[in-house]
Amino acid sequence: MGILSHAAFLARLEARAHELAALRSRGRRVVACVSGHAPHELVRAAGAIPVRLLAGGQPAETRGERWLRSDACAVCLSTVANLDPAGPADTFHAQVDAFLSVNACDLLRRMPESLNRYLQLPVFELYLPRGSEALPSRLAAFRRELARVAAEVAAFAGTAFDPERLGREIAAANQVRRRLREFDAGRRADRPEVSLSDILNLVALAGVLEPEAMFKLLSATGERPEPRTGSRPRPRLMLCGSEIAWQDRWLVELLEERADIVTDLLDTASLWFAEDCVPRRFEADCPEQGDPLDALARHYYSFPTAVWRRPSDAVFALARQRAAEARVDGVVLKTLLYCDPWSFESARLKAALERPFLHIDGTYSSENREQLRTRVEAFLEEL
Amino acid sequence: MTGLPAPRQAGLSACGPAPAGWQDPPAARVDFDEWAGLFEAVPGELVERYRYYRRDQLASGGLRPWSTYLFPPQSFAVYGARHLARLRFDNSLAALRLWGFVQSESERLFRARQLGRRVVATMGDLGALPVLVNSFPELVAFYPDCTWWTPFAMESTVLLDAAAREGIGEATCFSRAALGAFAKHAYFPDPDLVIASSGASCDDFAGVEQLAAGHARSVLWLEEPLRRDCGASCTQGTARPGVSRTAGGVPYEPAARELLVREYERALGRLEERAGRRIGEDELRAGIRRANTVRALARRVRELAYADAALPALETMLVEFGCLHGYSDFEEWQDILEQLVATGAARRDRGERVRPPDALRVGWVSPPADPLFLVHVEDRGARVVASEYVINQALEPIDETKPPLEAVAESFLAASLIGSSRARAATVIAEARRNRAEGFIISGILGGSHCAMETRLIADSVREELGLPVLDFDVPPPAREINRQLATRIDAFLEVVRERRG
Repeated sequence: MGILSHAAFLARLEARAHELAALRSRGRRVVACVSGHAPHELVRAAGAIPVRLLAGGQPAETRGERWLRSDACAVCLSTVANLDPAGPADTFHAQVDAFLSVNACDLLRRMPESLNRYLQLPVFELYLPRGSEALPSRLAAFRRELARVAAEVAAFAGTAFDPERLGREIAAANQVRRRLREFDAGRRADRPEVSLSDILNLVALAGVLEPEAMFKLLSATGERPEPRTGSRPRPRLMLCGSEIAWQDRWLVELLEERADIVTDLLDTASLWFAEDCVPRRFEADCPEQGDPLDALARHYYSFPTAVWRRPSDAVFALARQRAAEARVDGVVLKTLLYCDPWSFESARLKAALERPFLHIDGTYSSENREQLRTRVEAFLEEL
Repeated sequence: MTGLPAPRQAGLSACGPAPAGWQDPPAARVDFDEWAGLFEAVPGELVERYRYYRRDQLASGGLRPWSTYLFPPQSFAVYGARHLARLRFDNSLAALRLWGFVQSESERLFRARQLGRRVVATMGDLGALPVLVNSFPELVAFYPDCTWWTPFAMESTVLLDAAAREGIGEATCFSRAALGAFAKHAYFPDPDLVIASSGASCDDFAGVEQLAAGHARSVLWLEEPLRRDCGASCTQGTARPGVSRTAGGVPYEPAARELLVREYERALGRLEERAGRRIGEDELRAGIRRANTVRALARRVRELAYADAALPALETMLVEFGCLHGYSDFEEWQDILEQLVATGAARRDRGERVRPPDALRVGWVSPPADPLFLVHVEDRGARVVASEYVINQALEPIDETKPPLEAVAESFLAASLIGSSRARAATVIAEARRNRAEGFIISGILGGSHCAMETRLIADSVREELGLPVLDFDVPPPAREINRQLATRIDAFLEVVRERRG
């Protein structure tokens, strides 16, 4: 089972780093981001190369305390450290020319100031209103933000923002999203053909590859793997919570040893390419007609459905719907320490889903893994 | 029913003569017992004179006996504010009024409900919305956010424990006490409307608001825009063309103001629903003038405290937070501030100081949830000469020449938390320069989202621009006293500051 092994995934990342180095040698600029709400289509249409970086790692998390307090979340700590040019050699992060921030939480909203001050990294701030109600004034404000960022990135890249290209980039990104949704459907089978690890790898690659290359990769992967046979049905899980970094897959692997993670609420997995299940407002994919900037504003205002939006009720409606559709037996919430948006909602999520519930809160540290293994195994036995 | 006139009408306001039968003792900080002794000398006539919701009561035919608030400290301690026994207070009558007024706010809100006023909880924006709410005589605004002081005042974790049961545990801002208060339905009346602001602000309180919404009858969510105060790339560090400035000089983008105006229009609509009528522009303008008067008085108190050492740090912080919503009675609060300003000015003119002239001058960033820290630092021979208590927006003058909603929106764009740490640092550094600060204290909260990201940035700005030593620490959970380790750190820091004087 498995579409793309973790080793193959890491190798592809490494290869992409070399591609980026070559592109930079020809004058192209690479703009990094962390959030799933960062509009890669816009960055491409502005002439730069977007990459979504979520390397993580405990050593980087520890190094990050040089610039941020230890009660910043692991994503912020490790991102700042990984982008430090004086830090340990990292082929991928060494290619970053600038950072595009989206306020997916207060920490991520504030992180660019530290990147800029301490690492002298140019930053672009995209402000996405936190209010989940897509009022016309808020949408208009967000559209202005997108236009401003497009102009700034284009100036940085030495090009002009191309609205027509934006339309093409939206279409290309949608192709990737659709293909990912097809793969993801395999997770909900009685005997799932696709794992969350697969999806995490594919979404991570979609965050760093050009859409054409990603689509080619998905097409080459093409045929779904053979359904698992001969084994007893395993517990069906939903995994929710904070971003899962490239090198922080231990919990997913642990769960998948004995269970199937048949759905999720992760913006590093299916939330990134999903339709909004709440019956309101906009189409799932960016409309590929009309004003592309307007379409982009509408799309990213509502997707991925996010727990940090206020009110956050849409997340719970989506969670209930997914849990029912995927016939989920139990729910695992994995939060990073100090990830307030997810941690605070733990009790509410548990109440909303009315299923056995396990909340694991931690950092990238591996110190207490054996204890956590015991907790996970006890939880799975209960199912 | 005594039927006494309002203080200002009786010539008892701060700018007038000292109240009959009372003479402030020489300026000093006094402890709980001394305060009790001092109170015994306060004539009963004065106790009767100072009342809240005076206008409502006169309109109803006379003053009601429950509306007094000038009580001895034991009264508040008996009702749970145990921490008062460990603090030190300014010994003026104005300060006694201030303490009584602050401590009686919860009672006041329940009385407001009895008087038929609708209670509106404004959450998260810290300063702007009450200007609109209090323009309606039928409504009264308050900040559940300020419940964050309560666990410390009561030396109790009851509210924090209640918040934990709701889903917000330790390692989070103490503002989670507000969630506990919502859950317990006892610390303030269940609001008729909650206006919850979120956006470019801290995650902790956004989470508190979200969970508190589950206990509220009616919630309106408002967006707080980001104030981008640098150019296309922060490396350029310059404001873009088209940038406007607040009345206090803070640069902002007009688009942010426009977004906020649209949000305030929604809020106003809901307030009109609650009041059962439309509001006129004149009423909004009157509300703005009232807020401006209070803000100007608060700025004056800060000057008297920070530049002239005429008032202590603790009362000054309470005054600054009074700008948020006037502790639920703007008119009486204004009268108290006028008396406090007159007290401080008289002390300054007489050359009287509440702190010694050679006290170490420190700047303070972020309000200490436990007020004992301000007392401790003053007890150790220092005084506060500059502060940034994350409510810069509540001190900002509101432009009275602009359309009301635009003016209030513009004033909010001076807010501490919607901008960069660099801007926050710049505000307090400017004040520290004026008042010749010699060191800086940053009091944070473990797990507070902005504390985690801002502390290093602000500390480094202070070090680079002023070359001053900085102490940063996290305020521990409610306790009877400051723990030894922290007290030693503060003492060592002040020793370093003292040594630098040479």
